[in-house]
Amino acid sequence: MPAVLRRIPAGMLSAVVALIVWQIIGSVGPLAGDSFATATEAISALWVLVREATFWLAFWETVQMAAIGFAISMVIAIPLGMLIGLSRFSYRSSKFTFDFLKVIPPIVLIPIAILVIGPTLAMGVALVVFANVFSMAIQTAYGVRDADPVLLETMRCFRMGLAKQIRYARLPSAAVQIGIGMRLALAASLVVAVVAGLVGGAGGLGTFLALTQSAGNADDTYAVILFLGAIGVALSRLLVRGHRRLVFWVGR
Amino acid sequence: MTTAIAINGVSMEYVTPEGTTHVLDNVSYEVSEGSFVAIVGPSGVGKTTLLRLLSGLQKPTAGEILIRGERISGPPAGLAVVLQDYTRSLMPWLTVERNIALPLKNQKLSKADRSERIESSLEEVGLSGQGGKYPWQMSGGMQQRASIARALAVRPSILVMDEPFASVDAQTRFDLEDLVLKVRDDFGITTLMVTHDIDEAVYLSDEIVVLHGRPAKVRDVVTVDIPFPRSQIQTRNAPRFAELRTHVYAMVRGLE
Ligand SMILES: Nc1ncnc2c1ncn2[C@@H]1O[C@H](COP(=O)(O)OP(=O)(O)O)[C@@H](O)[C@H]1O
Ligand SMILES: [Mg+2]
Repeated sequence: MPAVLRRIPAGMLSAVVALIVWQIIGSVGPLAGDSFATATEAISALWVLVREATFWLAFWETVQMAAIGFAISMVIAIPLGMLIGLSRFSYRSSKFTFDFLKVIPPIVLIPIAILVIGPTLAMGVALVVFANVFSMAIQTAYGVRDADPVLLETMRCFRMGLAKQIRYARLPSAAVQIGIGMRLALAASLVVAVVAGLVGGAGGLGTFLALTQSAGNADDTYAVILFLGAIGVALSRLLVRGHRRLVFWVGR
Repeated sequence: MTTAIAINGVSMEYVTPEGTTHVLDNVSYEVSEGSFVAIVGPSGVGKTTLLRLLSGLQKPTAGEILIRGERISGPPAGLAVVLQDYTRSLMPWLTVERNIALPLKNQKLSKADRSERIESSLEEVGLSGQGGKYPWQMSGGMQQRASIARALAVRPSILVMDEPFASVDAQTRFDLEDLVLKVRDDFGITTLMVTHDIDEAVYLSDEIVVLHGRPAKVRDVVTVDIPFPRSQIQTRNAPRFAELRTHVYAMVRGLE
């Protein structure tokens, strides 16, 4: 490989390839036309959008739904998961129900949510919470149970009680799982916040997308999709780094 | 000599869904104050089980264990453990210093006393000034030294070790053996150690308890009449050493 190419990060390279493929698919073949945008059309549409206040307002609403929903789910799920994880019985008995609840796609709840809460930001928040809380709780509980029995027994031999075992063994070992769970949950929060707007009229970029779509504005639609993808990647990068710092001992 | 630990008619059965395993059958033995006892026996005979009962992690199905005359009903005060698997018994999220400090929180020590204990324990095991490292920044031998330092820091009267040197290389093993002999000398700690290495058992102990059978009984107690201090080269080449190891080996194998 030439030296110049080697310095480009692999991720960047594949992004460029993807954009080129997108451009080709959008220009020739069955998808070419007004209902689909090419990469260049989407990028130039995005360039216009990012200078419009309505776009940022919509983005801000989505961020609010995702962030508030995410925060609420963590505040509920982490302590709940810790409690569930402390006994094998409560873990085993909750796992079935929680596993069942966590695979229900939040989108199927939108009709009920619209009825009960109405098409508002609050509904978006509620859907985000629903999307995260069960999987996060079970992930936390798993982390708590996952604490090394050898370590726990060593602690018992040194007469360290339950409180110390939780603080110094169960929590740090759960931190690994909690970190992984948070990474997944944050990505899911963004997706659900968009879907809540798109399908449920909760506002934000989702509703913005619904409007561009119904106006037949493919360029804007794909510009927003491109933007959301970029935000998702950036967020996930940030979280991976944060997680590595938090559980610095893993993989050593 | 006074008795530090009395094991009186201890039997142990594990009850699992697959059935009941009778592991120990009416095991009795007395450990004298300050002595070094090795427990040997074939793999799966119940050595770890016996140590778990001694550490109060489990209750025997019959019999009792007394420490200085008192029946134990949970992890006894003044007992410290070192396990084979140092990577799992030290916390990777805490520095070695903080690993050692944790069990000390049970004892009402001033801050100065506590750091003095930590530093002197690290010095005893040859890890002076290395307390700021994380366990995973150390070699296996150093991590096991750190586990020993953690045990020493609580100033135990009884030290229990389950195959502590099974996962380190041969040279490190010799060093650590001499370290535990030094520790026993310096603090007069009553030491019980499970090992599958019969040479190691002979080299270190005053007495060797041989477990054998299923369920296991005490097959014999061998007194190691080789004077202290011992040395890796001289002791291991002494004719008496060879006799004893042959004898113990035969018993572990059930040949005698
Ligand atoms: N928690 C347990 N439940 C059921 N059986 C066990 C348990 N722990 C050990 N055993 C059984 O008890 C026997 C003795 O085990 P152990 O004390 O670990 O032997 P050793 O340390 O001498 O190799 C083995 O047959 C083992 O399978
Ligand atoms: Mg064992």
